[in-house]
Amino acid sequence: MPGTTAVPDIELIVEDIGGGGGGPTPPAGGGDDGDGGGDDRNRHGKWSPSPKRYSTAIAIGIVSILIFFMALASAFIVLRRSSELWVTVRLPPVLWANTCVLLASSFTLESARRRLSLADSSGFRKLWLTTTVLGFLFVAGQLIAWRQLVAQGVYIASNQASSFFYIFTGAHAVHLLGGVGALLFISFRKFEKTKISLPTAAEITSYYWHFMDGLWIFLLALLYLGK
Amino acid sequence: MGKDDSGAKPPESPRSGFLSRYVFSTNHKTIGLNYLWLALFSVFLGMAMSLLMRIHLVWPGAHLPILSSLGSSPDRFAALTTLHGSLMVFLVLTAAPQAGFGNYFLPLQIGAREMAFPALNFLAFWATVASLLGLTTTFFVSPQSGITLWIASVAVFCAASLLNALNFSVTTIDLRAHGLTLPRLPLTVWAWFINAILGMLIFSILLAACVCLLSDRLMGTHFFPVLNFLSVQPAGVIANAVPILWRRLFWFFAQAEVYVAMLPCFGLVTHLVSTFSRKPVWKERVVVLALCGVGVFGFCVWGQHMFSSGMNPFSPLVFSLLASSLGLPSLILLASWLGTLWNARVHLNTAMLFALGFISLFLSGGLSGIFLANHDLAAAAVSDDFVTGHFHLVMGVAATFAILGALFFWFPKLFGRRLNESLGKIHFWITFAGVYCVFMPMHWLGLIAHSRVSPGTPLASVAAAASSIRAFITVAIVLTVFAQGLFLINFLWSLFRGDKVLDRNPWRSTTLEWSFTSPPPADDFGANDPVVYRGAYEFGVPDAAEDFVPQHLAPACPEQSERSRTEIRGEIRKEPI
Repeated sequence: MPGTTAVPDIELIVEDIGGGGGGPTPPAGGGDDGDGGGDDRNRHGKWSPSPKRYSTAIAIGIVSILIFFMALASAFIVLRRSSELWVTVRLPPVLWANTCVLLASSFTLESARRRLSLADSSGFRKLWLTTTVLGFLFVAGQLIAWRQLVAQGVYIASNQASSFFYIFTGAHAVHLLGGVGALLFISFRKFEKTKISLPTAAEITSYYWHFMDGLWIFLLALLYLGK
Repeated sequence: MGKDDSGAKPPESPRSGFLSRYVFSTNHKTIGLNYLWLALFSVFLGMAMSLLMRIHLVWPGAHLPILSSLGSSPDRFAALTTLHGSLMVFLVLTAAPQAGFGNYFLPLQIGAREMAFPALNFLAFWATVASLLGLTTTFFVSPQSGITLWIASVAVFCAASLLNALNFSVTTIDLRAHGLTLPRLPLTVWAWFINAILGMLIFSILLAACVCLLSDRLMGTHFFPVLNFLSVQPAGVIANAVPILWRRLFWFFAQAEVYVAMLPCFGLVTHLVSTFSRKPVWKERVVVLALCGVGVFGFCVWGQHMFSSGMNPFSPLVFSLLASSLGLPSLILLASWLGTLWNARVHLNTAMLFALGFISLFLSGGLSGIFLANHDLAAAAVSDDFVTGHFHLVMGVAATFAILGALFFWFPKLFGRRLNESLGKIHFWITFAGVYCVFMPMHWLGLIAHSRVSPGTPLASVAAAASSIRAFITVAIVLTVFAQGLFLINFLWSLFRGDKVLDRNPWRSTTLEWSFTSPPPADDFGANDPVVYRGAYEFGVPDAAEDFVPQHLAPACPEQSERSRTEIRGEIRKEPI
């Protein structure tokens, strides 16, 4: 910002983590906003871009995804207010179980990162895989919720409330699957040749995952209170 | 993503083939140039379409060889208008100044060797190409599926712009050279950065809107009741409503696009004005604040417009208030340009002429914008032609002038050759006169169309005046479009035969991209990473060997660098140049 003169110089001197091989796909690819990626071949030898760019990117990506959902949420609120024929969607009870699963996954993710900082590699791997499985469980649970609604005869085109239910859960699931992809990437990628180190990758994945968690709580509250 | 294999190949080795050098390259310079080629292609396509539209308006009976095979219904004309608008707005005005020049010069100006995420950059470019193909295809399919395809293409474009915006902001935040603090950033970089943040916000919303619209059209949901209303109307009404719907959608998106297209142009013009006036930017910090202001207000106006166009009838009041408040940052920018030009020994080369042309167009377009920002006046004065004139003058043509100015300025850097100056000046003056002859009378047409409904006006004379103005506009358009042939000739000729640039820094500019040879070598900055010691606009420095000091030039005594820099800055302030 123009008012601040004392901005510290950005240090570009970082140790060379990449061996110059093929570029990795860094984790935390998030749905259609695509906050992930980047294969920086270290073809200039000396120059390697600041590793801070991953966390910056995930922060900006999170803001962007948040705006995307806020736009949908504001449309929801505006249409909810203005519509006289608002038919409410009875939320399937399986959603509460799904929420618990997602919250648990955030917990296991943090435990995994603690294991990593203690250099307990096998414990990290175990907890990390648990998180991944919980992520898949959540998506499966969302599909069950959809099946239950369809069984009740509530389709996406039935009414505005059901449209919003399907759009919210669908868009969230797509973004969450991006997070699951990141979890899988970290589980199975060898980190010797990548530009991004394992702790950094785990860290930014955890940011994204907790954001997905919080976003789901927000959407659920919106759907529950808006009925 | 998933392009790891192609990315692993060194894209710049001369032995590699065409595909890996131009198509699968993740290099920022290649991608930036590709965007510029795409924009060049789109701008000529779009101009050809505007020519067709004008010919159709003046001689409705004329049979044109390509169009008559597609049928000559009003739908076709509406589709032509939409395609002209989409190509110009998305592929030219949005892509060229931000993605084109930005991708090429942002890393060079901040001393980075690559964008933060080259693979994302690659992905964004090809998504943009896909959206261009989608937009163009809409013209050849039936209107109903055409609209769906158009929305899908716009959604793809939104996703690509989001990737770009992410890349630009992260690159600016994290990849700056040592010593390049925020106050030392060139204003071009500031504009690209602020625009990226703005794009991040608005394209997310646009994407959400596109998702809702697509789900309305494909899955029968009810997010936008207007569309449902249309679908239950009898068939004849739909046929009439479709073009209006197309136009509505166009404006709906264009409102956001205005600011996205203008912001980088502000940066480019400020940069050019300072460089060719040989003076520092007047009130540089305030200009940065004004750029931020344009970003913030632009976002708010657009958010309001989103509601006012479909949802809430009360928002026009807020919208007009915010639209008026956009005048403040614009006035600051204008004051800074004039302040920089004040008492300067201006180098009137073609790049500077285009920058001055931008200022002139921005000023006159802004004056008519005052009418439109006021809700009541807008209701009275707005008719198609008035809005068309205003919009084209301030956004379309002004932004094109900024792009052309930047092209004349950076052509030596891009290709190592200069564009021909005298041909460029002829092209400038014909275009400058031409666009005024085209778009000023459009304002009159708008006002005449309004006066026609007032009682007691002799209808026949008004209609005659209007039709003669229309013919005048068409003639002016034909001339202006053909004048662009001069540019094309100049461009192609200079590309292969233009004067070679022997000097590293032909414009005696301060920023980092001029610190190495042109066109840039594969390893831009050579073996050593650049270090920045000073601000971007140190022109007219006393006691210096020349009248400027490049950013990468170390101060005389390095241990006192911090102190001497503040002294130099202070002297510039005090010096009445």
